[in-house]
Amino acid sequence: MSIQAGVGLSTDKDHIAAVQEAVVQAKKNIAGDKIDLAFVFSTREYAHTTVLKTISQLSGNAVIIGSSSLAIISRAGICRHGLMVILISLPNEAYFNAASIREISSKSFDAAGKELAEKLLYGSKGTRRDLSLIFCDRLIQDSSGIINGMRQQLGMSFPLIGASPSERLGHKNSHLYFNEEIIKDAACGMLFGGKLTFGVGVKHGWKPLGKPRHITKSRGNIVYEINEEPAAKLYEEYIGKSREELKKELKRISIFYPIGIHLPGEEEYLLRNVISIEDDGSLTLQGDVHVDSRIRLMVGTKESCLEATAQAMDDLKTAMKDHPAEFILVFDSLSRLMLLGRQADREIEIIREKAGSGVPIFGLYTYGEQAPLRSIDYLGKTYFHNQTITILGVGG
Amino acid sequence: MDFSGFIVIAAVISTVILTMALAVKMQRAKELQTTADGLQKSLNEMDEQAKLVVRTDIALNKTQEELDKKITGLYALQRISRAISTTMEEKEIFKRIGSEHLDEIGFERAAAFMLYEEEDKFIPELSLGYGDEEMENLSTFINAHGDFFRRIIGNKETFSSISATATAGINKENLSRAFGINAFVVCPILPKEGNQGLLIVGTENPDTLVTEGDEELITILANQLGQALENARLFEKTWRAQQDLEKKVDERTRELSKVLEEVKDSSKRKSDFISSVSHELRTPLTSIKGYASILLAGKLGAIPKEVKERLEKINRHSDELVHMVNDLLDIARIEAGRVTMKQEPQNLINIVGQATDLLSMQAKEKDINLISDIPSDANSVYVDRSQIERVFINLIANALKFTPAKGRISIRAHKKGSFVQVDINDTGCGIPKEAQDKIFEEFYRVDNAINQEAKGTGLGLSLVKHIIEAHKGKIFVESAPGRGSTFSFTLPQPK
Repeated sequence: MSIQAGVGLSTDKDHIAAVQEAVVQAKKNIAGDKIDLAFVFSTREYAHTTVLKTISQLSGNAVIIGSSSLAIISRAGICRHGLMVILISLPNEAYFNAASIREISSKSFDAAGKELAEKLLYGSKGTRRDLSLIFCDRLIQDSSGIINGMRQQLGMSFPLIGASPSERLGHKNSHLYFNEEIIKDAACGMLFGGKLTFGVGVKHGWKPLGKPRHITKSRGNIVYEINEEPAAKLYEEYIGKSREELKKELKRISIFYPIGIHLPGEEEYLLRNVISIEDDGSLTLQGDVHVDSRIRLMVGTKESCLEATAQAMDDLKTAMKDHPAEFILVFDSLSRLMLLGRQADREIEIIREKAGSGVPIFGLYTYGEQAPLRSIDYLGKTYFHNQTITILGVGG
Repeated sequence: MDFSGFIVIAAVISTVILTMALAVKMQRAKELQTTADGLQKSLNEMDEQAKLVVRTDIALNKTQEELDKKITGLYALQRISRAISTTMEEKEIFKRIGSEHLDEIGFERAAAFMLYEEEDKFIPELSLGYGDEEMENLSTFINAHGDFFRRIIGNKETFSSISATATAGINKENLSRAFGINAFVVCPILPKEGNQGLLIVGTENPDTLVTEGDEELITILANQLGQALENARLFEKTWRAQQDLEKKVDERTRELSKVLEEVKDSSKRKSDFISSVSHELRTPLTSIKGYASILLAGKLGAIPKEVKERLEKINRHSDELVHMVNDLLDIARIEAGRVTMKQEPQNLINIVGQATDLLSMQAKEKDINLISDIPSDANSVYVDRSQIERVFINLIANALKFTPAKGRISIRAHKKGSFVQVDINDTGCGIPKEAQDKIFEEFYRVDNAINQEAKGTGLGLSLVKHIIEAHKGKIFVESAPGRGSTFSFTLPQPK
């Protein structure tokens, strides 16, 4: 038996009616009664523990993992008010383990990452481990730390695919679902192994503009100086606005013109959104950046974004070789939703067209994604990204 | 040349060569520097161009975003308009607006309050994106500042977080806090009649700013809501009026049915009475007539001439009385449904011939031209022959009675659907309009000179009407004084 995914989506305003409808739909789309795992993606009005308890009951106590988001992605398109339940039945040869870590703010991000990885590895001795899927609370400012901690335990090039789901751009509230609980200040994840095939496509579509510069002073995710000048000067010069004016429009500007970090040996630039501009001229980025990094100002258009989505799907298919994807999971940045505006549905159309008929597609919008830059054969190092679309294909 | 001389020459040559090499290198370095300077200059120029590109791109993106927002907003308005205009229930109008509509116009929270003057209170009708407790707090705030919000309605004033000014102690920050939103638009809902209210729409997102376009959009939405409320109220009013009317019609119908039942009951009692009285009258009348006949025949001895004359009068009046009693009995029987019409296919020409033969002597006496014209397609009727003969005899006899000498009476028939219509027309004195409705009533006699002289019971036309109606036919008259009369009736044809 190969891996199976049954998707159910409901927009019923009553969350109890919605969960029942979604589970019934999902069950219809899956053969047999064996349900191992349930992904639950919803918009925030469905974030109730009752929903999770009902899913647990109806799915025969399957492991539940998921999150709330501003919008959810299905094969049909983008849904801004709804609940999606994806029931997964794994082949007997496949292995998976799920775990969560809580109270992250009380420990270092590295330690939190290590703790999650240790929990995921528990009981997997002697099993081939292929990929880990993680969801981080939006409250966690620097998810890079968690990735670093996990990599230390799982291996430096072990593929991690993750998301920091978000209910709104810049809004720090989000609801992570783990089994029958809604968890905060937490992260949860899964480790897959055994006879499963994975393919990942990660792309953003932003292109470098202007001359290269160097980070000359930084700490963690704060950049103090670029080319030995206050970091904010980069934006002041390019946008042609004062620091105070930039602060007012920062989120918008940051989406259209993020900072791109050049990674030696990698094709894609690693994008970083600017979260805030401080009075001393420093920039707080969404993700860490190191001194001496070569950076560029990046520019994106709707067309380049959509081309990147098509490329990500092509990469995924290449990575999966001859194995067809049984389902496709999408983590799409909220920034892309904002940039694409009325064309956002086109992005889902591209995935649908490339995936072929009947392949279940599901996902959510995120504020930060984790994935290896080089998607083929999972040999690339996992990075914390901004503004990317991460597409994971899973086959039997 | 000694060895030292050789060294000096070599040193000089080396110095020259080195100097030349250095000069070449310096030249090259200079050229490279020039190239590097050129490249740096180009790079700087390109960077300057990139800055221009970014600034132009920002302006274009902003325009595109505003355009997108407007288009999306208009689509959303169209969808909301369709949703709210398809209901005629006031409460349902607000329920038709969903979070998806709000998303489309770029907001997350909305509330609507209607002012109920009777209760002197703003009551919430719409809540999107608010929790129950938040909505309760907002409701308390709105009512606590009732005068301020009444003024907004009274002034038909739309205001937003970009246009609000400190008014009556409520500033933008206080409103934002109370509404639980960072940016907002407040717009009055103004149906022409009935309760008016407020629509509050906004976003919690600190990065979203309300624009003039948003104010326009929300104003259009509030106007649509006002229009929908107006339509629903008008529909409600019309519906209620219709319900009242239907109620009244029902009541009247019930009253009329009751009266009709009473009339039927009274008519039945009358028929029963007539029937019973007629029966009681017929027995002594038969005796009177029998004894008068015996006396007239001289079976009890010769009678004087004066007595004979009186006896003949008794006999004649007894005949008239018997005739009248028989007519009354027939009417009563037909009314009571006790007479079954023995309907069979009949030849109308024969029936008319029978009746005209019977009355031909009277026609001859008054020199009245009696014409009958029955076309073949109207010849076949499905009737009780003896009863229909009575109809013809009654109507032709009436016509003869009221038609002066040398007049004309015509009996014509024509096919009319599955019926035959017979028209008996005379050149008599005619019937006044006011009497035409009453002539089929029992004992009604038109007040004219002929009736005053001629005898009649006033039962003939009533009996005729009963017989025709018992055949599912209709009878009616067209007449004008001095211009004759036409009595028309319909008879069924065989199927």
